[in-house]
Amino acid sequence: MKKIIVSDPTLRDGNHALGHQLNVRQMVMYAAASDAAGVAIVEVGHGNGLGASSLQVGESAIEDLAMLGAVRAVLKHAKLGVHIIPGFGTINKNLKPAIEAGVDVVRVASHCTEADTTQRHIGYAREKGRVAYGVLMMSHMAAKEVLLNECRKMESYGAEAVVLMDSAGAYLPADVSERIGFLARNLSIPVGFHGHNNLGMAVANSAAAAEAGATLLDGSARGLGAGAGNTPLEVMIAVLHRMGYSTDVDLYKILDAADLAERHLMPKIPTISSLSIASGLAGVFSGFAKHVERVAAEYGVDAREVFRELGNRKVVAGQEDVAIEVAIELAARKGEEK
Amino acid sequence: MTSKRRDIVREDCRRALAGGTEMLAPLRNSALFVTGGTGFVGTWLTEMIACLNDEHGFNVHVTLMARQCGRFVETAEHLAARKDVTVVLKDVRSVLDLPPETQWIIHAAATPDRRVHASDPVGAVDVIVNGTRAMLVAAVQLSQLRKFLNISSGLIYGTQPWDMPAISESFCGSLDCANVSSGYPEAKRFAETLCAAYQSEHRLIISTVRPFAFIGPYQPLGLPWAGTDFIRDAMLGGPIRVHGDGQTIRSHMYPSDMAYWLLNILVKGRSGQAYNVGSARGVTLAEFAARIADCVPGRPRIEFGVLGERRPPASKRVPDVSLCASALSLGLSTDLDMAIKRTISWNQTT
Amino acid sequence: MPRLNVAILGSGNIGTDLLIKTMRSSLLRCVLFVGRNLQSSGLAKAGSLGVPISWRGIEAIVEKPHICDLVFDATSALDHQTHWPILDRLGKIVVDMTPARLGAMCVPAVNRDSCLEKRNINMVTCGGQAAIPLACAIRQSHRDVSYVEIVSSIAARSAGPATRINLDEYVETTEKALVALSGCRRSKAILILNPADPCINMQTTLFAKVAQPNLERCRAAVAVMEKKVQDYVPGYQVIVPPIYENGRIVIMVRVQGSGDHLPTYAGNLDIIDCAAVAMAEAIARKHFHVTPQTKNGPGL
Repeated sequence: MKKIIVSDPTLRDGNHALGHQLNVRQMVMYAAASDAAGVAIVEVGHGNGLGASSLQVGESAIEDLAMLGAVRAVLKHAKLGVHIIPGFGTINKNLKPAIEAGVDVVRVASHCTEADTTQRHIGYAREKGRVAYGVLMMSHMAAKEVLLNECRKMESYGAEAVVLMDSAGAYLPADVSERIGFLARNLSIPVGFHGHNNLGMAVANSAAAAEAGATLLDGSARGLGAGAGNTPLEVMIAVLHRMGYSTDVDLYKILDAADLAERHLMPKIPTISSLSIASGLAGVFSGFAKHVERVAAEYGVDAREVFRELGNRKVVAGQEDVAIEVAIELAARKGEEK
Repeated sequence: MTSKRRDIVREDCRRALAGGTEMLAPLRNSALFVTGGTGFVGTWLTEMIACLNDEHGFNVHVTLMARQCGRFVETAEHLAARKDVTVVLKDVRSVLDLPPETQWIIHAAATPDRRVHASDPVGAVDVIVNGTRAMLVAAVQLSQLRKFLNISSGLIYGTQPWDMPAISESFCGSLDCANVSSGYPEAKRFAETLCAAYQSEHRLIISTVRPFAFIGPYQPLGLPWAGTDFIRDAMLGGPIRVHGDGQTIRSHMYPSDMAYWLLNILVKGRSGQAYNVGSARGVTLAEFAARIADCVPGRPRIEFGVLGERRPPASKRVPDVSLCASALSLGLSTDLDMAIKRTISWNQTT
Repeated sequence: MPRLNVAILGSGNIGTDLLIKTMRSSLLRCVLFVGRNLQSSGLAKAGSLGVPISWRGIEAIVEKPHICDLVFDATSALDHQTHWPILDRLGKIVVDMTPARLGAMCVPAVNRDSCLEKRNINMVTCGGQAAIPLACAIRQSHRDVSYVEIVSSIAARSAGPATRINLDEYVETTEKALVALSGCRRSKAILILNPADPCINMQTTLFAKVAQPNLERCRAAVAVMEKKVQDYVPGYQVIVPPIYENGRIVIMVRVQGSGDHLPTYAGNLDIIDCAAVAMAEAIARKHFHVTPQTKNGPGL
């Protein structure tokens, strides 16, 4: 039976949905449940990873190290994972202390065309004997040949696996099959997929990824994550088992974990809001949702138009500030039209 | 560097020279010029020359040329301080002339670091192509030059067919020239062709060496290669992570043998001939990891395919070194187990 | 007219762009352009412009120390650590373009005068050159600035291998300079590479947390500062003047490059080169009593 390694970013990507306000009690509670269900990796952190707490993308309720220490203490089998984007988090300030706090898996991410920014962070994690992944965000913005070349860079730096993120929730299953299949055929390291649900395709896309050769899949409880949310983990597990994959995850226990997350982590269950559909179609990073909603209201413009303009400008994750500029510009244009 | 580290390396050189030094006699009282002189190959060549000078009265003067010497001064200050060693800081592409007394040239300037090949392919290619050209132009002007040894790469063969037990020098190989990963091997191929052109047109006497994989002292453990990864993981107490199913086959040569072979090819290699340099003993990565684990107290755990069961078609890279063995009578003085043990003890001695 | 003799160490993009800017200045004369690789296009370009060149690195200056008074070091942080003690001994003023942080951190619009006495002047980073003047304007108009954060987006094509591998140094140097030069209490810097085609101009957003925001005073201070920077960086423009949004002051600037040696989208490289040349010109005036006769004389 083909095996899928399951990574659970509820306590990292989920933070996007909560304005990065998850507290230690919630983290510990959910991490224990996810660990007990047999998830391989529990990812923890600010939505944009280590050292990303900022006015640009939102300030965390608690320090990175406080989260890591607390979750480390309750994990029995699962590995503790972090996400880090060079340009946000540095080795000295963020990665070094995180590794000292007991992180097992370091997922070093960049925009899908900028893998050469990850060299030193991947190298540092490997030198410290930790597992290092390369992560390409917003992967819908590059052709498969470009993605392959960026993955090869990460492999040459020492990445032991690469994960494609559909950060904007823009893929349809055929897009995933094409890209993941191409990477799996041409790379010698394992390939993973991280879905978002803006177009309601996250589970179907994850299944397509597995069929195309991905062996690592991300999913979070009830889909708790940026924008319309991630691939709902409990659904993904059920579907994978139905398709004949083994995951090491106990279905009932992961259902329990999802129920627990629903009760204790989320003020509301992630839904595909009208705005996140516009966001997915525009191909804009799902993490922009809360910022766009806010500035659109402040400047009295249509949030969907803000997303469309951001899509036209081809903004990447981390350029949340541009939403303000776009809203001001749209407001000025509206004023002129009147 | 501690004297213990120096002792390990000197013992290694003595072992490689144990069969006798008479084949290397043409080197006596001569001047050797090495580009990329402060790198892994240059450092080992210098260790070997130092041993020949100190213990066999060879009286060879070595000039090491390199862009940077920072790490060399730290890791090999005992070499940098020697009277028979001169270090020249210069970019190989800027060479216009060489010391007139130069009799031997070993051109080893190029980085084998695949991280650099990925991040700065333009720079990596430029150093090889334009550096080799500059060196050949300068070599033509020398009146006492006896041999130009071009250090190429075992990567020029591209993928080794699975049913081919070992790659021999006559295998033309195949590379996808439109793939950026081919930058380094394609540049090395072109450098070999350039050498052939200089040999044909300017009658330079040139031999080529195609090195494969090595494991030993002076190799930074931060390099993302299977051998260095395993040793580093083992020294950190493990687990040693083997990717895939561990059936990929590689061979590793200990660098004192590499240095000894290079000097032999320099002295006795036929002009226009390429020589594979490496170990003919291929082992699977699974076996390699197990042997490394055996050499570390507490025998660290070995993990396979922790990141998924994906099994890429296993690859193989093993040189056929029968040419060096038959034509130059070269063999190994250090087997794999000994190589692993000595590498670990050198790295543990700081 | 007397000019300050300068040498440029480093024949890469920054060094070559500095050369073009120096040649346009009426206060500076590039007497030596130094690289390491004889075959580099930077040396070829300098040679074609009639500038004396050398490919022998720092040795070229050691052998002819009297040739220049000031050296721009556009090599790398690692190389600068070797170069500085040598240049110090030779009595040179050094304008350091690398993130080595050995010298006084300099943003001309903010601390040109206090840097005039320094012998090693560090040009911080592109984001620092763009944002620190704004942070100072906020500080001038507010009693207490508890936090400043800057986010710079640059065109992926303007970031070479050295920039990409040194993102950590960029972040740390920019954060330190923000605190040191603006007097804010805490700082954070973020750098984003954007691969959009056509290439984006460099854009920097500054967020600040202050007690009792005074937007009116802040806008006036920012307008004055914008002018000061524009005196030496022609493509510097405030595109969103101070606003108060979501509990923080927000200001955005765009930097378009002059297109000297580098494409116009590379405002990130242009701004730091413009700043370095402005500093060298100020030194020329102060130490050698040269009268300004440049097109952008006033304000310098």
